[in-house]
Amino acid sequence: MMIALAVTGWGWTEMIWATVISIGLVFFVLVLMVFVMKLFGVIFAQQHEHKLPKQAGKPVSAGLLHEEEIAAITTALKLYKSALHDRESEVLTILSIKRAYSPWNSKIHGLTQLPDRK
Amino acid sequence: MIPFLASNFALESLEKFLGSMGFTAIFAGMQWGNLVMIAIAFFLLYLAIKKQYEPMLLMTIAFGMLLTNLPGAGLFHEELFAGGHIHWGEFVKQNPGLLDYLYLGVKLGIYPCLIFVGVGAMTDFGPLIANPKSFLLGAAAQAGIFITFLAAFALGFTPEQAGSIGIIGGADGPTAIFLTSKLAPELLGPIAVAAYSYMALVPVIQPPIMRALTTKKERMIKMSTLRTVSKTERIVFPIVIATIISLLLPDAAPLIGSLMLGNLMKECGVVDRLSKTVQNELMNIVVIFLGLTVGATATADTFLSPATLKILLMGIIAFGIGSACGVLLAKFMNLFAKEGNKINPLIGSAGVSAVPMAARVSQKEGQRENPSNFLLMHAMGPNVAGVVGSAVAAGILLSFLG
Repeated sequence: MMIALAVTGWGWTEMIWATVISIGLVFFVLVLMVFVMKLFGVIFAQQHEHKLPKQAGKPVSAGLLHEEEIAAITTALKLYKSALHDRESEVLTILSIKRAYSPWNSKIHGLTQLPDRK
Repeated sequence: MIPFLASNFALESLEKFLGSMGFTAIFAGMQWGNLVMIAIAFFLLYLAIKKQYEPMLLMTIAFGMLLTNLPGAGLFHEELFAGGHIHWGEFVKQNPGLLDYLYLGVKLGIYPCLIFVGVGAMTDFGPLIANPKSFLLGAAAQAGIFITFLAAFALGFTPEQAGSIGIIGGADGPTAIFLTSKLAPELLGPIAVAAYSYMALVPVIQPPIMRALTTKKERMIKMSTLRTVSKTERIVFPIVIATIISLLLPDAAPLIGSLMLGNLMKECGVVDRLSKTVQNELMNIVVIFLGLTVGATATADTFLSPATLKILLMGIIAFGIGSACGVLLAKFMNLFAKEGNKINPLIGSAGVSAVPMAARVSQKEGQRENPSNFLLMHAMGPNVAGVVGSAVAAGILLSFLG
């Protein structure tokens, strides 16, 4: 046991102290977890940033690109977007299978015939 | 005359057989308590099967209760565990019943920990990692445990019994069973029934408290989207939590260690077979054993007493206070939060464990005011923090009172 206390003979003083200390300890442990997890968030966020390529997302300052380059990028994006489609081919893939009748696969012969109650 | 007709063998055999019958024991011994307990078991079976109140456990608990109260069946012998100890010597001398052997898993604290492995493997700690402040809401909801601890003492329970009754407020069945089996095994039956019944009644108990403590404007608060949590964070989380909490509170190590072991199995992605086993097969097997044996402790002598009524009353108070404290702390945190970063106080009540039902209640209440509000993932943070919080609270009570 972490704390060995003789519980027998506990009065209100001991009970109130135990309650206050217990609530305090629960909060202490969980607040500590908050800080640990926040620290983790910071560390992992930094690692994530390091992994990203440095050029990615870097804003292009005005004047660096010529009008022709901008037009080429825009056209490429337009072509790419138009190549994407969100419609299915609309071809049904369920094939109907025609089978010649055979008593071996006949439902009429396989199912129990119940009397027709009208 | 034929000799066998002349002997009294047939009569004696019949008399012996009639004497061994449970019906004879009930009516000859006037064991009305057993009859009442059998009726309660039938009622709990009805609740579990028809109303589907925590059926996985309530059904098995009720059946265990039925079996143990059948006179003459001898499936469970309380005297083998009298005084909170296992009397190993008696196991050899007596002829123990099936439930006596199975109960060893409860008494030795094995089943609750195995269930926690399964719970860990089924829990997504992502929302808690993304928003660590949820830990605070999980801590606040544990206040119900300690306030009830005092209230139970005021009602005449011993400190150990008061601690076991208070833990009902954690709304975590395995934790309640784990702590009670160590501190006050004589109350295991009523406490387990109370804990699981109230967990099933979360959607009934919590909403009035949540509505009473919040304004319409607060209930409509929309929370910002949670950040993405990387796989590495998810893997490191159980390892770090298990290490730190076990070092701080060695008494909480069995529960927290098991919970985090299960979670690591799920998150690491290299032991899929183990993860699936603990989530399904192991969990289900242990639930059967746990339910049956906990139900078996609910004998007429221990269950039919004024103490049981007090426990049921204290349990609901613990649960209500825990829910209220979670909501109130969320409101308090909002006093210091910037606009746009506020917490919807409805997620505070999810700080009592009862995963995932308490989080679902927060979601439902939030959508009641604002149908476009989705609080479920935000509420899962305090909800899983509550599991950690109640295990920590159990560890603290065990270290003080054990």
